[in-house]
Amino acid sequence: MLKIFQDFLKSLWPEFYRHRTNVHLNSFYTFTNYRYLWFISISVLAATALAPICIATLIYYQLIETSVDSDLNHRTKQLTVAAKSAVTFFMEERLNALTFTVNENGYEQLTDNTRLAEILKNLKLGFGGVTDLSVLDADGNQVAYAGPFNLEGKNYKNQSWFEQSLKQINYISEVFTGYRDVPHIIITVRSVKPDGSSFILRATLDTERLMQTLSSYKTGDYADIFLVNHEGKLQTPSIHYGAIFTPTNLIFPAGSDESEVIEIFLNGKSIISGHSSISRDLTSTPFTLMVLKEKAGMLKFWQDMSFKFNWIMGASVVVILIVITFASTFMVNKLYRADKAKAETMMQMEQSQQLASIGQLAAGVAHEINNPLAVINQTAGYMKDLFSFKDQERDDDEIVEYIDSILDAVDRCGTITRQLLGFVRQFDVKIKKVNLQKLISQVLSFHKKEAEYRRIHVTVSIPDSFPELETDSSKFQQVLVNLINNAFQAVEEGNCLDIIASQLSPNTIELVIHDTGCGIPEENLKKIHEPFFSTKKNGSGTGLGLSITYGLVKKLGGRISVQSTEGVGTSFTIHLPVKINEGRNA
Amino acid sequence: MKILLVDDEQKFINMLAKRLALRGIEADTAYTGEEALKKAESAVYDVAVLDIKMPGISGPQLKRKLFTLHPNLNFIFVTGHGAVEKSEEDGSEKDIYLSKPLDIDFLIETVQELIQAR
Repeated sequence: MLKIFQDFLKSLWPEFYRHRTNVHLNSFYTFTNYRYLWFISISVLAATALAPICIATLIYYQLIETSVDSDLNHRTKQLTVAAKSAVTFFMEERLNALTFTVNENGYEQLTDNTRLAEILKNLKLGFGGVTDLSVLDADGNQVAYAGPFNLEGKNYKNQSWFEQSLKQINYISEVFTGYRDVPHIIITVRSVKPDGSSFILRATLDTERLMQTLSSYKTGDYADIFLVNHEGKLQTPSIHYGAIFTPTNLIFPAGSDESEVIEIFLNGKSIISGHSSISRDLTSTPFTLMVLKEKAGMLKFWQDMSFKFNWIMGASVVVILIVITFASTFMVNKLYRADKAKAETMMQMEQSQQLASIGQLAAGVAHEINNPLAVINQTAGYMKDLFSFKDQERDDDEIVEYIDSILDAVDRCGTITRQLLGFVRQFDVKIKKVNLQKLISQVLSFHKKEAEYRRIHVTVSIPDSFPELETDSSKFQQVLVNLINNAFQAVEEGNCLDIIASQLSPNTIELVIHDTGCGIPEENLKKIHEPFFSTKKNGSGTGLGLSITYGLVKKLGGRISVQSTEGVGTSFTIHLPVKINEGRNA
Repeated sequence: MKILLVDDEQKFINMLAKRLALRGIEADTAYTGEEALKKAESAVYDVAVLDIKMPGISGPQLKRKLFTLHPNLNFIFVTGHGAVEKSEEDGSEKDIYLSKPLDIDFLIETVQELIQAR
């Protein structure tokens, strides 16, 4: 249980986040900044995963907005046209009925009050909305009247509607209160008496019926349908503008038969407004039909949908981010562990290669020591013989000579062991001053006999002005051991090995190790610095020598290059700083 | 019984030759392969004791050259390397390797075994 909890904590606070830089291991890591890698991984994955979602969402909203807009406009226009037809029909129906009444009955019958009352009754039955009827002569005198108000004998000569009625065959007035204090509309039909003078049949329409017609087109809570006159005064009550006769800024040029839909802002609300003037073929009316629809209300359905959509999108984004974060953490952690294992293996490899090169030296050293030991053995043995074989003459000078040769041989052994110790001791020394001449002759001393036996001409050329290097001596020494060992393995009897050092600039030296050995085939030249590449048969080489040399030179702040021609020879060229940059090395 | 000692380590074979002489074995010394070949031309040896690593002609090379001169000659190799390596060019007979430092009694024993085996 505790372990699961610890694992969970580890996955939250992954290993690479707790990475401690280790001076020895650092150079073996492939990636140095795992936190940065982790950050990049999450950002790139998140960007690629979320970008399509964001774009899709934007497009979705764009599409919704335009489609909702055009849908709203379309619907408002339809409603405007429908309501306009209804109002027009309402007016026309009554006007036609009135025209019919005038033509059918004539002046005589119309001025008969009983007949007029009968006609009013029939009109009310047939069409509804007609309050009263009256007949006026050309001077504005009310000749006959039928209806609920006692208006007989009134003169309308000075009323504006009367002047208009005389000018036109048909006339439809605005909504007004007139003598009776009730909003109404007057419609008139002009006709001719038998004596040739004009008379007018007037009907009063109550606005109640008109308002009913309009409200039958109100669909939903957000629609507002009403009429305004050409001065913008309300002719029916409006939800947005208030009671009847309230002046508004809704002034439209008369006579346009077309319906128009625009978007306006009213009291901070976005409103789709359709308007169309109510007109007839013969007479124009003073009305303009207004249809107002609140956009917000119409959008409610879409907003509800968007809300759900946003929730789904938000949830997906959160899920994607969580998955990406966990996946990235997991992957980077795996990578980190693999890299760490690699770095540790590489370090062990380097150490074991270092030991292997010491081992190689040891074999040479044993040989070097065994020769003087053999001399000591035989000389001491002979001296013993001199005493054992009694008949032998013993000359003191001779014995001293033998003792001297034993001491000589002991000296030789001592020199070799001192060299080896001095050499091995360097493996644990960090940065210090290095005399290249001394170091090279130390390394070469282990090959002295081999060079003699195989008649290999070794030349070392180091100018007198060559500076003392300040570098990691153990690493540099290993580079030299590896390269010189390699050269000795590559050369045949009688070949040459040249070691040439020169100073390129105040802070750079060049060291060329050139041999006239077998050379490296071109196809292998690229691979020689790769780990485990070896041309030695039967696993006699690890294939690590040059790859480690390559890594060591890099750690010393230098670079190594190789030129080789098969059968002619090989040159390894090393460029090194005179003073190693300690910060870089660490 | 006559032995040819070949090694570039002069003091070593000089002493060895003196000690062998004390034990009644005649031994000639040669410091290089060339010198050994010259001596082999004028004398007949039973056994040649060769150092493997020598400047110029190496031990195994010298063995081949001496073998063509004296097919009946026996060879003993002496090496400073502790480990005894098998020579790749040994014929039907197995070569005998002794490591330095050399014990003189063991050398004489080996030489006598070789001669008796013949």
